[in-house]
Amino acid sequence: MLSLKAQAAAGVLALCLSGAAMAEPVEVQWWHAMTGVNGERVDELVKKFNESNEQYKVVAVNKGNYDEVINSTIAAYRAKRPPHIVQIYERGFMTMLLSDAIVPAQDLMEKAGYKIDWNDFIKPVAGFYSYKGRLAAMPFNSSSPILFYNKDQFQKAGFDKPAQTWGEFEKQLYAIKKSGAAECGTALATDYHWSLIENYSAINDQPYATKANGYNGLDTEFVYNKTLVVPQVARLKRWLDDGVLKIAGQGFSPEQLFTSGTCATYFASTAAHSGIEKNAKIAWSATFLPWEEGREPKNSTIGGAALWVIKGHKPEEEKAVAAFFDFLAKPETQLWWHKATGYVPLTNKAYELAKSQGYYKESPTREIAILQLNRGTPSENSLGFHFGNFTQAMFAQREEVEALFAGKKDAQQAMDDAVKRGNEILRQYERLNKGKY
Amino acid sequence: MVARTHEPGLKQAHFRTAGLPTLLLLPQLLILLFFFFIPSVRALMQAFLLADPFGATVHFVWLDNFKALFRSESYRNSVWVTIWFTLAQNVLTIVVALVLAFATDRVVRFQAAYKGIILLPYAIAPVIAGVIWAFLFNPSVGPIAFFLKSLGVAWDPNRNGWDAMLLVVLAASWKHICYDYIFLVAGLLAVPKSLMEAAAVDGAGPVKRFFQIALPLLGPTLFFLTTMNFVYGFFETFAIIDAVTHGGPAGATNILVYKVYQDGFVNLDLGSSAAQSVLLMTFALLLTLLQFKYVERKVNYSI
Repeated sequence: MLSLKAQAAAGVLALCLSGAAMAEPVEVQWWHAMTGVNGERVDELVKKFNESNEQYKVVAVNKGNYDEVINSTIAAYRAKRPPHIVQIYERGFMTMLLSDAIVPAQDLMEKAGYKIDWNDFIKPVAGFYSYKGRLAAMPFNSSSPILFYNKDQFQKAGFDKPAQTWGEFEKQLYAIKKSGAAECGTALATDYHWSLIENYSAINDQPYATKANGYNGLDTEFVYNKTLVVPQVARLKRWLDDGVLKIAGQGFSPEQLFTSGTCATYFASTAAHSGIEKNAKIAWSATFLPWEEGREPKNSTIGGAALWVIKGHKPEEEKAVAAFFDFLAKPETQLWWHKATGYVPLTNKAYELAKSQGYYKESPTREIAILQLNRGTPSENSLGFHFGNFTQAMFAQREEVEALFAGKKDAQQAMDDAVKRGNEILRQYERLNKGKY
Repeated sequence: MVARTHEPGLKQAHFRTAGLPTLLLLPQLLILLFFFFIPSVRALMQAFLLADPFGATVHFVWLDNFKALFRSESYRNSVWVTIWFTLAQNVLTIVVALVLAFATDRVVRFQAAYKGIILLPYAIAPVIAGVIWAFLFNPSVGPIAFFLKSLGVAWDPNRNGWDAMLLVVLAASWKHICYDYIFLVAGLLAVPKSLMEAAAVDGAGPVKRFFQIALPLLGPTLFFLTTMNFVYGFFETFAIIDAVTHGGPAGATNILVYKVYQDGFVNLDLGSSAAQSVLLMTFALLLTLLQFKYVERKVNYSI
């Protein structure tokens, strides 16, 4: 039996709480990794949502880069004070999926009574974030690498635009350097492993690993040391030796080498649009990634990130998250985001809307990534990459490519070593997560 | 113990009971407890586990994390890199700081101004220092890199491991020279003028006076600085490595403390990272003990 005083206190407290709930919207935290121009767009996006309703409020917090976001999330989860929504890069898919820390996005939406037509999501995106046919995370900023080029420099060297095949494209780059149209052919992007190795593999229908690149089991093994990836990295090394390829180095963005006109081309995410449009003083355009001669090019794969819901929050907060996701899935929101940032629209409806408005007539380069993602029928080699500890395996690969660039190893040796190290990393993940996938 | 009470100076015990010294030490001990001992014990525990970063699945794997490290080529590489980096940084820092301290001790005019200028780098955050060096030596935009190229040097720290190593050694030393310099200037001030004057009267030139009188008297300071420089090289150069090379290319500048961070916080391999930090701490302890055991004997503390 509570004392009278305690009862009165509890009553007052309850009154205060209910009063607060009526006046204040339910607030949810969203940790994200968007900085610069795209970070400002996230703030606008959240503002739009918060103004569109009175019940819910999303608070977006920038937590640094993708690595820092996943780290902060882990720390917060272990301290039992996690945010509601986190933006995690596509490489972290398996880590999040088997973490036992998440509410699958599709479950959340169904529980909250929202009907989202997941089949309308474009296939490479929905396919990537699905597990056993159901969406595990809410796709958010998806992109694919495309080839940006300097129109004037290509013209000066006597070409209309970059060639479609790697062989011809290589000749063009050498011609551009030789003719003096540009100081260098291409700038090595920071995420070249994604554009020039992984997507290269997918587009040319090369197996990257067994078990459909990890989609069919944790006992997958890397095999890219036996495919066209080896001559591809050897080609990069050749370009570097001949001064056709430039590495920007720490603290200096390779994008600047392109936008300043030093290098004639730049392989980068379609999300680089917002930065290039803002900074480039050159006449630029973009096109599809090249492919090997005599091959039918497949679709490229996605990069970017998705929104994961961390479990353990109150039902009304989960409802707020669901309302926000519903807002994100709307074609109008998608279209606005696509135009503002360069990321691809996630639903076919949004894409149709953009087309019907004639958006791609005024900005044709914005459509390239979507066409490239939807090209042909995906094969096991072009679905995407589902590897546990993928960041770690990618890091090992990059170290081996650096050893190749430094001339310490040849291409075959470097890729053999990368595969060997990668497979050890995969086995460690398999050991930890046996029976969970 | 009885004999000790008769020793003069600092070695004499000033406290007669345990109460007051314990009280005085308590704040520091508490800080050590929360920020050193508890994390260390947790790291030690984590080193024997294979764990999901979110903590959902945890396997006890005995010494597997350590075995994997000893098998790992990149870890062995990291050990060598750390040794080279720390040694080079240590020697360069002490030699330059000594020359500067000796020089400013000799000049009469504007001595304070020189001292102030030499101390400036210490006021710069390590990350900023790193960025400055990375920029100056960047092969695409850096003025010093252009100068080197005009001399015909194929300078490229983005590809060449030795270039990268040289760059981080320079950056780390530049940042730390002023620290050593402060101590050496103070050490030189403590050298009795009478000794120097007597030597001068006997006909010893400034260089000879420095090597025969000042340097031996600086022994304790130099010993202290060597230890501090090792600790600096092992742990505090993290920000510089992060800003200048990210440990690359191909692990050429991946010192142990940076590898701990990279494997733990970027690659989320917590077990291996914890095992590495345990080993790193052991290395540092061993090194410090060795220094005290063998180097300190050669140091003359009495004046």
